[in-house]
Amino acid sequence: MTAQQMNPYGRHRTPAPQLFGLLAGALMIAMTAMTHAASVADLQPKLPTRVSGWQAEGEDRTFDDRTIFGYIDGAGEVYRAYNMRACLSRRFAKDGQTDITLDVFDMGSPEDAFGVFTHDTDGERVDIGQDARYRPGWLSFWQNRFFVSIYLDEESAAAELAVKELGKQVAAAAGKPGKRPSILGLLPAAGLEAGAIRFLHHPIVLNYHYYLFDQNILLLSPRTDAALASYRRGGEQARLLLISYPQARTAREALAGFHRHYLPDAGSSGFARLENGKWSAARQRDRMLTIVLEADSRRFAENLLMEAERNASGE
Amino acid sequence: MPNKSSKPVITRRDFLKTGSYVAAGSLVGLPLLHRASAQTAAKSRVVLIRDRSAVDENGRVNGPVLESMLDQAVVAMLDAPDAASAWRRLFGPDDVVGIKTNAWFRLPTPEALETALVFRLGQAGVKSGSIAVDDRGIRDNPVFMRSTALINVRPMRTHHWSGLGTLLKNYIMFVSAPWSYHGNACERLGAIWQKPQVAGKTRLNILVMLTPLFHGIGPHHFSRRYVWPYAGLIVSTDPVAADATGARIIEAKRKAFFDDQRPISPPPLHIAAADTRFGLGNSNADRIELLRLGWGEQILI
Repeated sequence: MTAQQMNPYGRHRTPAPQLFGLLAGALMIAMTAMTHAASVADLQPKLPTRVSGWQAEGEDRTFDDRTIFGYIDGAGEVYRAYNMRACLSRRFAKDGQTDITLDVFDMGSPEDAFGVFTHDTDGERVDIGQDARYRPGWLSFWQNRFFVSIYLDEESAAAELAVKELGKQVAAAAGKPGKRPSILGLLPAAGLEAGAIRFLHHPIVLNYHYYLFDQNILLLSPRTDAALASYRRGGEQARLLLISYPQARTAREALAGFHRHYLPDAGSSGFARLENGKWSAARQRDRMLTIVLEADSRRFAENLLMEAERNASGE
Repeated sequence: MPNKSSKPVITRRDFLKTGSYVAAGSLVGLPLLHRASAQTAAKSRVVLIRDRSAVDENGRVNGPVLESMLDQAVVAMLDAPDAASAWRRLFGPDDVVGIKTNAWFRLPTPEALETALVFRLGQAGVKSGSIAVDDRGIRDNPVFMRSTALINVRPMRTHHWSGLGTLLKNYIMFVSAPWSYHGNACERLGAIWQKPQVAGKTRLNILVMLTPLFHGIGPHHFSRRYVWPYAGLIVSTDPVAADATGARIIEAKRKAFFDDQRPISPPPLHIAAADTRFGLGNSNADRIELLRLGWGEQILI
């Protein structure tokens, strides 16, 4: 079985011979949309208006992928990079207490809700939604196709409790759990730092987490799925990047660009030692590009490449 | 004009070669590795002035102290004998002056600073009808539309997409489609400074470092946990040098605050690009003459 047959990575990626799989997937998505909150408009009436003494104040505000800039300035680009459809903002107030801002982002798919959640995974893991983090002043989580941010203007113990309670109620209203991106299943399991995986489509988001090029050499686009992961094994560390392209030809071009601009010294082995002493290598197979960005040893890099390819081939 | 079509690719390895990416956390100026050096031949003078009483622990600004800091900085920047002559050297009765401020409500340009600037312009002879303070309305503001001079004043902060909200970035409201400059961490912001409504008009840049934001969280990219009372102003005629100086302070603060290595992310490429691609000033520390005035504790640079 090839990587293409094994992995229908995304919404636009399955080739014609896999029409049956595509139809089945489409049916699943359609059924999901019928049983879950399909948009922020559907979710809005289910959202709480009162929590722990905080009361919703003023009208809800909604934004699309253009008007979002007027609400959160340059940060809007992060949500656009994950195909944001809409954002609903509701403010909660309580006398003598800080305001709480609830922002619900409809990302259009559970994969992208997961993706934008992985943009910032600092903080304490809490049991809200499908995965959540709390840092002083900010709770974030994802559930179904929604990414949810609950923000405090000022920190206080009472407000923190209210934020977590509000999060639980919003998660319950957001519908059944959604699927994580399929590409995550190709990451080698041994030594994977599961809490630090980033799922992304956009070169700037990649550069945010791991600066690589000042140009889009890897040909990332809304139609590519990428997973950036960190590994620790036996005292050694590595970073691995998997990218699934809509076509094998694009994957080949991306590999050629990577070799030309990043590993011109790789030689026939495909491995190069970077200026910091770490190892890098890349391989392409069908629509998949696998890149070991930095590994403490060549052996570690070889193992990661081999394991990722084995996962992709379904062996 | 710089050649934009043959832009070489800058990679992580360029930074690794100098040991500067993770080791020092600095990305400012590094694209000089590949590109022509800055078009500015002389060193740029940057004044960093601090006064611990300029801002209290709650972020409240002391207006008179701030006004005095501004005067001292301008005098030092120009080697002028006194504040009045320094301001007269910068602006005159025939000028129409737009003060480009920043209205982001979580960390705006302090009103006291705007007031001080308007007052000093008046003392320099600029007519009251020829002065405007604006941010998001500058493209329709009649004073900005007929301006002969600009003052650029804003607080320094980290930024989701450009790495840092800088003086260079503050001019993004001069264009009708700001998002068209968002590519590659807003690297092309320097191009805005070459547009007719802006080019050659900026006589004074003030990077407000009273309570800089050195890290952002969440969609709103703000937490009081990540501002601190640095109590400073960075003043220069060179926006690139002022921004590069501010960026080094933010980098140093992040290094001191976080246990792990957390360079500014995304890297503020637009600062170096303003130097090497757009020739707007100097980003490298060795081409900046930094004058430190006032409070010296925890200066971080």
